[in-house]
Amino acid sequence: MSGDHHDDALISRRVRRLETLLEEKGVLSGGALDEVIDAFLSGASPANGARVVARAWTDPAFRSRLLADGTAAVRELGFMDGSYQRLRVVENTETLHNVIVCTLCSCYPLRLLGPSPSWYKSESYRSRVVREPRAVLAEFGLGLPADTEISVWDSSAETRYMVLPRRPAGTESLDETELAALVTRNALIGTAAV
Amino acid sequence: MARINDVGGMQGFGAVDTTDDTEPFHADWEARVVGLFNALRAQGLFNTNEFRDAIESIPPARYLTTSYYERWFIAICALLERKGVLAPGELDGAVGAVGPDGLARPGGSAGLGQPGGPDA
Amino acid sequence: MPDRFAPGDLVRTYLHDPPHHTRLPRYARGKRGVVVEAEGGAQLADVSAQGRDDAPVEQVYAVRFAARDLWGEGDHHVVLDLWESYLEEDPEDER
Repeated sequence: MSGDHHDDALISRRVRRLETLLEEKGVLSGGALDEVIDAFLSGASPANGARVVARAWTDPAFRSRLLADGTAAVRELGFMDGSYQRLRVVENTETLHNVIVCTLCSCYPLRLLGPSPSWYKSESYRSRVVREPRAVLAEFGLGLPADTEISVWDSSAETRYMVLPRRPAGTESLDETELAALVTRNALIGTAAV
Repeated sequence: MARINDVGGMQGFGAVDTTDDTEPFHADWEARVVGLFNALRAQGLFNTNEFRDAIESIPPARYLTTSYYERWFIAICALLERKGVLAPGELDGAVGAVGPDGLARPGGSAGLGQPGGPDA
Repeated sequence: MPDRFAPGDLVRTYLHDPPHHTRLPRYARGKRGVVVEAEGGAQLADVSAQGRDDAPVEQVYAVRFAARDLWGEGDHHVVLDLWESYLEEDPEDER
């Protein structure tokens, strides 16, 4: 992350000062921010995306619905209610790997994946993954066979993308909860496999 | 014209730091800034695209030397000035040696009342 | 209004370079691509970013670009979400 040379304490004072000014002006009411911050964080977690994936791995009909209309399918599980955004789930296969980015800012399926990691918002990731995805994925330790196709989804409007990773071999005996525990945030972005 | 946020395909940013940080915020003020953004947007003071526009309008040298949520704070301050909620320089009064956009100028002075903000 | 483009249509992005906010990245300006699907209508970000509430609602399309068409090399694809007015038919297409 850049900008570490700036004085955290000074910025912190600036932010507090702005809050106070806005309260004095009646633009914000006291405590309003705490509520908003709590709402921002509550219920946003990669565990949500993992649950969606585990359901898709164990329920072929759900998987079909998820790939056809991601928004409607995840609402069945109680996610993305009231969101104006559209969810598109992109499926990894033996021959295709998907990875998500937002080169222009930092668009991200917050409700299903939780707050995004710093690297997702970094210039390094944003600039390079559309240009040299194989090299970037290798930096994450993900080596793909040379003949695996790569699709990079650069979110530039109101659709948010999530990757449906491949179910690993040897997991036939696991139940949905155990499967969900295998799914990482990076796998949902496409910078890792499960 | 392309702006500094439009980095797709640009060379020179180096390897990705793949550290898997799980904490959403690295300091409390970052959470406050996110709260400010969400609260002010919910009031209709600005929309998401205006906010993005304000971030993109930060001069390139500045954009690249500020952290993610510092940019958010700069953009919020610029929008509040543009919308007339804050007078130019109003935030400077009580906080000392900082620029009109709300950030420290190492070794510099505040410039009360200077025109400015990222989109000036 | 019916959608101007259908999945599979060959399109080209406008080579436009506006002085304002836009959601067509510079790496994909004036490039040929294939429509993947329509995503639904959304207010044109270019206008909405100016604080105007009269931004037209346009269809947004997922459009797929071959890396070699964007960068001159590469074997991957990049998909972008693009407003209808960013796109035109590509009659000269040789693919």
